[in-house]
Amino acid sequence: MIQDVISQDKSKAFLFCNEAIVRAALESDVKVVAFYPGSPVSEILDTFFQISNNFNIKMEIATNEKVALEIVAGASMAGQRSLTAMKSVGLNVASDTFFSLGYTGINKGCVLVFADDPFCHSSQSEEDGRFFASNAYIPMLEPSDPVEAKEMVKHAYEISEKFKTIVLIRTTTRINHQSTIVPLDPLNRTAFEPTSFREPQKKYSTVGSKAREYKLKMLQRRDKIKEEFENSQFNFIKEGYPNFGIITSGVSYNYVLEVCDKLDIRPPILKLGTTYPLPEKLISGFIKKLKGVIIVEELSPYLELNIKALAKDINPNIKIIGKETGHFSEAFEYNIPILFDVFREIYNIKSDIHYNSLLKDRNSLKSMLPKRIPVFCPGCPHRATFWALTRAVGGKSSEIAFMNDIGCYSMLLLNNEIYSKLNPDDLLLSMGATLGTGSGVSLASKEKVISVIGDSTFFHAGLPGMVNICHNNEDVTVIVLDNSVTAMTGQQSNPNTPVGDSKKKIHIENILKGIGFEDLMINDCFDAKNCIPSFKSALETKGPSIIISRGPCALWNDRNKRRRGEKIQPFFVDQDICRKCHTCMRDFYCPAINMEDALAEYTDENSKAWKGYSSHISPELCDGCGVCSIICPYTNHEERSAKDVIKPYKTLREVRHDL
Amino acid sequence: MTYNIMTCGVGGQGLMLVSNILGLACAEYGLEIRTAETHGLAQRSGSIYTHIRIGDKVYSPLIPYGEADILLGMEAIETLRYIEFLKPDGNIILNKYLWYPVQSTFERVKNPKISYISIEYIVEQLEKVSKNIHMIDALDLAHQAGNPLTSNVVLLGALAKIDGFPLKMEQLQEIIPKIVPKKAIDANLKALSLGFENR
Repeated sequence: MIQDVISQDKSKAFLFCNEAIVRAALESDVKVVAFYPGSPVSEILDTFFQISNNFNIKMEIATNEKVALEIVAGASMAGQRSLTAMKSVGLNVASDTFFSLGYTGINKGCVLVFADDPFCHSSQSEEDGRFFASNAYIPMLEPSDPVEAKEMVKHAYEISEKFKTIVLIRTTTRINHQSTIVPLDPLNRTAFEPTSFREPQKKYSTVGSKAREYKLKMLQRRDKIKEEFENSQFNFIKEGYPNFGIITSGVSYNYVLEVCDKLDIRPPILKLGTTYPLPEKLISGFIKKLKGVIIVEELSPYLELNIKALAKDINPNIKIIGKETGHFSEAFEYNIPILFDVFREIYNIKSDIHYNSLLKDRNSLKSMLPKRIPVFCPGCPHRATFWALTRAVGGKSSEIAFMNDIGCYSMLLLNNEIYSKLNPDDLLLSMGATLGTGSGVSLASKEKVISVIGDSTFFHAGLPGMVNICHNNEDVTVIVLDNSVTAMTGQQSNPNTPVGDSKKKIHIENILKGIGFEDLMINDCFDAKNCIPSFKSALETKGPSIIISRGPCALWNDRNKRRRGEKIQPFFVDQDICRKCHTCMRDFYCPAINMEDALAEYTDENSKAWKGYSSHISPELCDGCGVCSIICPYTNHEERSAKDVIKPYKTLREVRHDL
Repeated sequence: MTYNIMTCGVGGQGLMLVSNILGLACAEYGLEIRTAETHGLAQRSGSIYTHIRIGDKVYSPLIPYGEADILLGMEAIETLRYIEFLKPDGNIILNKYLWYPVQSTFERVKNPKISYISIEYIVEQLEKVSKNIHMIDALDLAHQAGNPLTSNVVLLGALAKIDGFPLKMEQLQEIIPKIVPKKAIDANLKALSLGFENR
């Protein structure tokens, strides 16, 4: 919890790993931090956001990960300790600068935390970012839990300053999203004193001849760090028998220990914490006398291939069990059952535990269990936007191509079946790719291209694509989903978020007009019916057409309401006059609306009677956006009378906990 | 010995508070704890869980299949979804609450005669793994406690009454005021007691 992250007197606390990383940076007297949010590291940003003012830390939420890395690198070159954190695909964005930093080096301690996401819990690809370290000659530490993450971040500052290089801390989702009791050291913070960029008398420019000079120095630096890592506290051997050992790192180390306990075996284990450069002498010494070794690492065979290369000279007959023998997969996360089966086979142990048959039995109980796919929240502006867009597309689904992007609206893809008229699974690649791919598809095909992009993504990686669309006069309809915040990762602010007393923000329409889009349209998405004509006209336009679909993120808006002491006015379905037409359920897909279990009868004005199931709005879930009352054919939302089927409650309710 | 608690529910139900109270209590009373949580995309009215492991020596953040002492479900559908984690005859704390997924409503619109899944059906399935099911109407008790948002703490109270659960009721009562907002302390303590008494 936040009070423990900044605690001056506690010697230990129950911390979330991302909080432990912040605590480590605080204990290391960090002065400048910058981030772009991304799961699983967003809470590092969020935690700093809450405390940076108390500790005189200069913090920026940057427009993207590349800018964030440049901010912390610049601050380090100018003489301040700094830190950034990003998800794996964020490091892709930052990689151009990242590689150059390997050449130039830095000055004061600079740490880059990056998190891979095995199983793609919240990412578009399952990358193994460890290859960034070896490719860029930048040292990398890999913690196996929050306690070690904290120790490693602190140690990373020492390595960084000793060798004048940025240092990577590589985590995975299971490390970041883990909490445990973490020892705390004193917070010996110093005051922020501006430093001089000139003073260190060092230059940070790389190109051509300078780059060639740097490259040779970088190789020397790598060798020195390798020597240092041979004796690192983060690499250690647990002696044991028989002579069939295990080499592992990261979260897998914990699974190894637990499975060894379960099988009651004590094989020799080498746990690696410095995974670039690898401590080759230590590894060679470990594998020299072994008959075999099991390599346990998620994702790519990074350790496995390196260890095989070492074994060729040291112990060519050693049996190496890993991904290439088919014992482990390169896909998804590991867990106890996966390791258990491999270890049981290799160490030839009998056991009564059969995880797979248990899983199969239990899954057989779920044949009727409904799916629960993440959907737009009650009150979400996107639901209203896509309701109107679906109506504008009408029966012409086969004539459009839909370019999706990264944000809450990516969820359209997960709910492909209910949004099928928009073809929401046509194409989704990466941040901002909706625009470039939109241009390409429009050049090549006869379909009308719709590209959707959120406000944060627009600033992050959308600007070059927008300029390109304007400059080349592409036949693309761009819908900017403007909900004021970076919603998906926890409603962090972005350049489009009104901040401070002045409510200053960068207006997307000003940027677009500046680029040259003169006829852009701005919709209030909650006025859903009135948005249909502008979508229709945009789809009929030849050449670029831009619509900003505006409405605040429901979670962010609720939090602001709670802060201001405002309440929510939920809506309800008048059961007596609901005509059981199901329009609100069929077309709107709001989690707050469901179908009554009991049949009810309705008699209309011509005394015609029929039975059906009414709609029901859950008052605890309804956010009061009222769009269902706009789309209900038997409600006149402009007049609001007792004759309406969907109407607002008279009593207000408290804003519920945000998610 | 490791004591394993699998908690689950729907994004927005306040699962994090439960694991934070347990974590703080363990830190205070000298127990080891390790939890694995869901964050990010799945929180948007999606299925969420937290693995909570308490003991002297906890390695993996994830509970292996069939090894949870307790399955605590804040929502009935989600309780069945994570049934593979429960020990045979382990304890199930089941909130008598259904939050129908939009996808189910979508199916019913296509064919209204298909009914939603029922609590009775879910209990029937759960009983094939364990008869130790403690069903609680947490929302009703939370209303009684004076704050409908305290359903999660009601269920925590029920958890505290399970034999073998490593923390004491008094310890949870000590911790809650340190973690919930000041004006919500009374309602949360009342919710905890109501959950304990009504299990």
